[in-house]
Amino acid sequence: MSSEKPGDVLSFEDAYNRLEETVRRLEEGGLSLSDATRLFEEGMHLARICNELLTSAEMRITRLQTAYGEQMRLLADAQDESVED
Amino acid sequence: MPVYSVGQVTRYLKESLDADAVLGDLWVRGEVSNLFNSAAGHHYFTLKDGAGQLKCVMFRPATGGENLSDGGAVITHGRVSLYEVRGDLQLYVDMVQPEGVGERHLELERLKARLEAEGLFHPSRKRPLPPYPRRIAVVTSPFGSVWHDIQNVVGRRYPLAELALAPTPVQGEGAAAAIAEALEAADREEDVDVVIVARGGGSLEELWPFNEEVVARAIYASRAPVVSAVGHETDYTVADLVADVRAPTPSAAAEMVAPDRSELIVRVNASVNLLSQRLGEVMEMRFRDVEQSVWRLNRGAPDATTWRQRLDDLSLASSRSLQNYLAVRVERVTGLEFRLGTLSPANVLSRGYAMVQRQDTGETVTSVAQVDAGDDVQVRVSDGAFTARTLAAGGQG
Repeated sequence: MSSEKPGDVLSFEDAYNRLEETVRRLEEGGLSLSDATRLFEEGMHLARICNELLTSAEMRITRLQTAYGEQMRLLADAQDESVED
Repeated sequence: MPVYSVGQVTRYLKESLDADAVLGDLWVRGEVSNLFNSAAGHHYFTLKDGAGQLKCVMFRPATGGENLSDGGAVITHGRVSLYEVRGDLQLYVDMVQPEGVGERHLELERLKARLEAEGLFHPSRKRPLPPYPRRIAVVTSPFGSVWHDIQNVVGRRYPLAELALAPTPVQGEGAAAAIAEALEAADREEDVDVVIVARGGGSLEELWPFNEEVVARAIYASRAPVVSAVGHETDYTVADLVADVRAPTPSAAAEMVAPDRSELIVRVNASVNLLSQRLGEVMEMRFRDVEQSVWRLNRGAPDATTWRQRLDDLSLASSRSLQNYLAVRVERVTGLEFRLGTLSPANVLSRGYAMVQRQDTGETVTSVAQVDAGDDVQVRVSDGAFTARTLAAGGQG
């Protein structure tokens, strides 16, 4: 299930889906104490990642290039230059 | 002097008519007469005015047949051709609107009918929105409240996402082509999960670019699902009909796209509680196993006594040690069981119990036989774990 490479940062979706999967496996039962503990720990680790992602995220805003965006940029540049003159 | 067959002439006539650009695509206004509706759902009628008349046929599933009635004034769209079998010149109608509807509206209805027939609005085409989008493209004007509102809503609800603005004018000359181009720019990005195409309320005139075919096609071509939010809740544009989801306002579109993180935090915490509860249950089950062992041990005790009597010839010391061994075992296990029985399974660890695991294998230590002097173990308590080193190997009993 965990196909990510060591250096990869887990996305919220991956972390949350794995957390739910962990809960599901713990709920299935038939586990030894050490397996249950291992799943519990894995789940707590994932929950911590989820909470960190949810509370510390800052939205990124970017712009895609369109003809209109390019026009606006040229216009703004021209205006800046005329202000400087 | 060539002599032609009838078929050659009708064929020539038909080909001439079909090649004519005006006759191939025209609007005709007139009064309906001699209307005949066939059982198969086709309509045959004559359109006339003061100057002349035109035979018309309208095959299923052309739209607007309900607007036909003898004596009614209508505007039709179609093409003129020849029905060779009878030598009849006919208008092949594909759309009928009642007279009095604006020209632009007629074009719009025709575009809708055409796109619908092509399947652009089909419910089976509507794709679900991704539950946790990583990258959201927004096709709208960089000025004004729409872009601002969308940033606010997504920033508040789900700042994990990236917003990628594809700036475009949203009204006026050339707006439709620019909107389509911005949609294509969003579609060129590999990792866009969902697209919002939005503009605020405005007059029918201002919303018009969203009724143009080039925008409809660009929405249809998008690989990521598209949420449209054009104008007010009561305005329905062609863009809304093609989009995977139609939102009543731009803010509503942002809310549909961005999950609410405070809800997600509640869900993650619920998962944490479930995890603790399940672990507690597994622990409780193991303690019940211990309880059963105690019961078996108790049941076996009389045997041990008779066994002891049979071992009378052994030294008193060894007999006593056997007794001690059993007594201590029983006491220990029942004591443990009693104490654990009073615990809520969910917070066993928080009551001061610890779980010990071997540092090297991670195996849970349940017996002194698992640990030797010098072995490192992980001691897990309610809020974390620490490492400890075994000072001396334990003895049994």
